[in-house]
Amino acid sequence: MTFEEAQRELEDIVQRLERGEAPLDEALKLWERGEELYRFCKARLDAAEGTIEELASRAEAAKP
Amino acid sequence: MKVEATSYGDRKVYSVGGFNRGVSSWLQRLPTVWVEGEVTELRRSDRWASVFFTLKDPEDGSCLGVSMPRGQFDALRLELADGDRVHCFGRPELFEARGEFRLRALSLERFGLGEHLAALERLKRKLAGEGLFATERKRPLPLIPARVGLVTGNDAAAKRDVLTAITTRFPPASVLVAETYVQGPRAAGAVVEALRALCREGVDVVVVARGGGSFEDLLPFSDERLVRAIAECPVPVVSAVGHEQDTPLCDLAADVRASTPSVAGRLVVPDLAQLLERLDRSRAGLERGTRRSLDRERQRLDRAHDRLRRAPRLLVERRRATLEQSAGRLRALSPRSTLERGYAIVRAGGQIIRSGRAVDPGERVEVELAEGGFGARVEESG
Repeated sequence: MTFEEAQRELEDIVQRLERGEAPLDEALKLWERGEELYRFCKARLDAAEGTIEELASRAEAAKP
Repeated sequence: MKVEATSYGDRKVYSVGGFNRGVSSWLQRLPTVWVEGEVTELRRSDRWASVFFTLKDPEDGSCLGVSMPRGQFDALRLELADGDRVHCFGRPELFEARGEFRLRALSLERFGLGEHLAALERLKRKLAGEGLFATERKRPLPLIPARVGLVTGNDAAAKRDVLTAITTRFPPASVLVAETYVQGPRAAGAVVEALRALCREGVDVVVVARGGGSFEDLLPFSDERLVRAIAECPVPVVSAVGHEQDTPLCDLAADVRASTPSVAGRLVVPDLAQLLERLDRSRAGLERGTRRSLDRERQRLDRAHDRLRRAPRLLVERRRATLEQSAGRLRALSPRSTLERGYAIVRAGGQIIRSGRAVDPGERVEVELAEGGFGARVEESG
């Protein structure tokens, strides 16, 4: 799943929950799924660690 | 022309003239070619049969002496100045008297902006005809690229602008930078190679950035190989070459054109702060929505519970009402109410008397009224 897909699904779930139409069982399932998606998105942003690399130095490093 | 060598034992020795003639006749077998360069050191005199100038390679400074018959040169009316770019048609030649190598020009054409523009226009039409610039070909940029490729010259400004824009907007970004030639005859090939190398390393979007420059500086970015490589790149390409008013062909082939390197940097990564805010808003909505559902269910449950609790009391009350009703009806039917209307019950010997013939004169009877009663004796009967 990509970040975009997760974010879209999360926002759809929020909309459904805010309309308040879902029965309790379903609402709880939606909430759990939403939390899961939130954690996924957050992890994608937290895990990414900024790096700036030069291709030339990579090529150098690759040489034996 | 025959070149004779003198033999000294087993050594063959040429005279200078003989050597020059030999080399000269060999050179004359080479074909005539077009050579492009900038004119410098133009020397012309009415007393000379030929005009002399030097052609200089603008990239690496290589020089080539050129001679051209004066009559031919004058007839062209080129009015060349130092630094003018020309295409020169001729063959290599050795000036035998001085052993000087040079190009014997047969024809000379000015190659300037107009020719460049015309060539560019032809290429643009050709590539457009192939659909290379078509809108349908443009791919969307990834929202969060795992790694951004950057092709740039070692001119600090463009590179710095892109990197600053990327890391300011999205600090966790990963960038792989390929520094390469962005000017001169090697630039087009070098940029193509850099693009391929980045894709081999694995990037999901590429920025090609080069700061402003003269029309000729930017020409490599209209090179057919480079333009095709950008169109065929397996990942989307953002082109930020030159200034707003320049439109090198690579801009047309790229998926997105950025007016400056900074804009390109901002285009390839999302705004982290905005992204986090949106995510947090979603999460708040998630909680709010779930709580709303819960509250609604709880209220529904409470209402049901209330009704459940009230149900037995209702039942008893209903029963009681029914009972009261029955009691009323019962009372209506009891003899007491009849007595209250003024009737009396007469008993003799415990038996209710319903007929005058049932008693004899002098017999004692008991009379019951609504309130109390009394004993009596029968006077007459029948």
